[in-house]
Amino acid sequence: MILKTLGIVLALTAAQATLAATAGQSAPNFTVVDTQGKAVQLSDFRGRYVVLEWTNPQCPFVRNHYGTKNMQSLQQRWGERDVVWLSIDSSNKSSWDYMNPSKLGSWMQSQGAAQKAVLVDDDSAAAKLYQAKTTPHMFVIDPQGTIIYAGAIDDRPSTRSEDPPQARNYVQAALSQATDGKPVTTANTTPYGCSVKY
Amino acid sequence: MLRSPTLASALLAATLLAVVVTAARAAPVRTEHVEAELIAERTAVVPGQPLTVATRLAMDRGWHTYWRNPGDSGLPTTLAWNLPQGLSAGPIEWPAPRALPVGPLMNFGYEGEVLLLSTVSAGRDVAGGKTVTLSARADWLVCKEICIPEGADLSLTLPVADVADADPRWSGPIASARAALPRPLEGLSASALGAGREVVLTLSGKNLTGNPGEVYFFPYAAGLIEPAAKQTLTRDGDTLKITLAVANQPVGEFTRVAGVITASQGFAGQRAVTLDAPLKGSVVSGPAPPAPVVVPLSSGANSETLPLGIALALAFAGGVLLNLMPCVFPVLSLKILGFAMHGGGRAAMRLHGLAFAAGVIVSFWLLAAGLVALRSAGAQLGWGFQLQSPAVIAVLAVLFFVMALNLSGVFEFGRLVPSSLAAWDAKQPLLNDVLSGVLAVVVASPCTAPFMGAALGYALTAPRAITLGVFTALGLGMAAPYLLLAFFPHWRARLPQPGPWMQRLKQLLAFPLYGTVLWLAWVLGAQLDNDAVLRLGLSLLLVALALWAWQSRRAGASGGWTLAALASVATAAVVAWPVVAASTPGEPPRSVARDTGPWQAYAPARLAQLIADGRPVFIDFTAAWCVTCQVNKRLVLNSKEVQDAFMRSNVALLRADWTRRDPAIGQALAALGRSGIPAYVLYRPGREPLLLPEVLQQSTIQNALATL
Repeated sequence: MILKTLGIVLALTAAQATLAATAGQSAPNFTVVDTQGKAVQLSDFRGRYVVLEWTNPQCPFVRNHYGTKNMQSLQQRWGERDVVWLSIDSSNKSSWDYMNPSKLGSWMQSQGAAQKAVLVDDDSAAAKLYQAKTTPHMFVIDPQGTIIYAGAIDDRPSTRSEDPPQARNYVQAALSQATDGKPVTTANTTPYGCSVKY
Repeated sequence: MLRSPTLASALLAATLLAVVVTAARAAPVRTEHVEAELIAERTAVVPGQPLTVATRLAMDRGWHTYWRNPGDSGLPTTLAWNLPQGLSAGPIEWPAPRALPVGPLMNFGYEGEVLLLSTVSAGRDVAGGKTVTLSARADWLVCKEICIPEGADLSLTLPVADVADADPRWSGPIASARAALPRPLEGLSASALGAGREVVLTLSGKNLTGNPGEVYFFPYAAGLIEPAAKQTLTRDGDTLKITLAVANQPVGEFTRVAGVITASQGFAGQRAVTLDAPLKGSVVSGPAPPAPVVVPLSSGANSETLPLGIALALAFAGGVLLNLMPCVFPVLSLKILGFAMHGGGRAAMRLHGLAFAAGVIVSFWLLAAGLVALRSAGAQLGWGFQLQSPAVIAVLAVLFFVMALNLSGVFEFGRLVPSSLAAWDAKQPLLNDVLSGVLAVVVASPCTAPFMGAALGYALTAPRAITLGVFTALGLGMAAPYLLLAFFPHWRARLPQPGPWMQRLKQLLAFPLYGTVLWLAWVLGAQLDNDAVLRLGLSLLLVALALWAWQSRRAGASGGWTLAALASVATAAVVAWPVVAASTPGEPPRSVARDTGPWQAYAPARLAQLIADGRPVFIDFTAAWCVTCQVNKRLVLNSKEVQDAFMRSNVALLRADWTRRDPAIGQALAALGRSGIPAYVLYRPGREPLLLPEVLQQSTIQNALATL
């Protein structure tokens, strides 16, 4: 009885994701090597907001968001506010869409991308953990490691260049609301894009 | 050379017809992987009559386009019409799709050739004698391993006439496509029942007999059913059941099941059936509540476990304090007093002390081992679990009552025990001490449960070595006073001299024991009902009667009293039997028909629903036999300030009553990393849940609510 009267609350580490990664769940941890060859672990960034962007330069939806500079401006704007943006290409090594690290890295560079790291998930392990379905498929994780947004990047599923600037961007909304201390109003949407090439 | 005028005009007519027919068709547009064109079922537009047109997409082998719900990825084909005045086109009438697997994902769409039908209405003000051009911009996504967005500007020019013939090339295919469009099945009744993570579609009707072949359900809406999950089909005469999986990443409210069912062999010849049924039952809209991350309220520090040294010290202190428990104190204090009367040498004294301590410690080990073993066997246990059983409560009540009667002087232990056993007892004084130690622990455990639930729960979940250490420290603490007296004889001199006051003290100490019996009766009442309390009271009465009769017999009364004693005991057993028998394991807690105020009963489905609704939820894990829980409830949880604070934050209040065994509650506690109660958890929308300390204060609750 004395043990509890001290009022010490034990901290337990959160269990890994039960079924799938949706808003409200703990973000499953993973370790993937980036295009520079460095191993990046999600738990390294505990204490900061993290955005996971599933990407695939071969996909017209991704090319549209990069072509309109929509993706890069989000990466830049939130990178300045200490949000860790990780772009993950989970195309399986044996798939047609696979790009080796140097090709992937140079494509990102040619687009002027501003993410913290580009991860080469060539066995699709991280994608399986998050059940990523499309490229792009976006997850926003808060500093405590809870997913606060999962789903589409915006509300206009299209490959047309006029759409990204005019669409309602869910990632922008989630980050603005969360960093303001407000609850995220749209936490789960149906993602759109090309399928992840498992 | 043409001689016959009829032949000439026929030839002219044929040429004109050929021109007209050619003019009606625009050339198909060829994109990289698709050939697209607009076609019509008839050769002319007739004002006032609808006309079926189709967007024909012929895809290269291996490439596909998408249905209105594309599945896990992709985009449906869109059609934007540009029509002259007097004409309007309806939405795309989608043919039945196919399930197209893409690795572990699933798409819904078309391969080969598809005709996307549209109905064009022609008003009467479409001027006759002229032609009209129907234009549409078609955009689609065509994929194989890669995806390519494509589009084409399609147009179809048709004459306006009073009569129109069927188009020789396309009327057949368009008619077949229309006949094959999904539509309701005659006589079909469909219902949808949600059960957790599954939805069962039940279809019945006279047209469902016969073998439908492969059956598949395509939902219209995304985010409700998981596209790639296997759909299982069972049949029973003219009833079909299809089991669907709820989406892993659900979006939106799941209230209806609407879509298309395809059957490779058809239902009475119809291969595609539309369905729209309300969803009954409930689905877990979202994954199971997340495993809680507990952070200290004051700081953002991560894991902070109790250092072993401190845990042991606290356990020792707890053990010492156990001696003061109302059920333990009489036994031990009398032991100490009896000790004062022992005249043995120092070595003998030490031996007595060590034997008693050994009895205590070994009993604690056995208890811990038993609990750990039961736990590993999967039982939903926590410290205090033994108090969840009415049988145990009844037996303990009888035991304490008998002990209290002994202290009150109704009978003497010595006279109960046959003389041989009493003599043996005297010959084995050490064993007597060991057994006293065991008795002390047995008697102590129900009293420790209310206060030590959480601490011992922690010890039970720790590695075996730590568990052993903590229980050893407990035992040492409990035996400490006796050990000290055994090892420091000059302290014994400080003990008061024996005298008549000992008798009075003994009688006085009976009263805390009677109090304990009363408390156990109250717990029994909470577990069962008033009748059970009455039965227990009657049994105790009869036991008291039996003991008094036995004592009288021993004191020289006639032999008839023996019979009276036996009869009393037998009657007591009969009276108590229903109470004991009420302890069937796994029985659900009895429903309490009393006003629980704002507190609802805990149920996993209710918790999931509240979380899905986005409300904060506070769960109070409690039991009637847990004194700390009761204190927290009366002093803090039910206080006006705290209730007001809950109401202001719109917190849903759930009470998990563990007075009786309840596997659901046991599992919930285990998921939280606890094996004992009290336990308090606050589920916060959009954040991880918060576990609160076992001892509550109003500020604890208010600080927790401030983090919402």
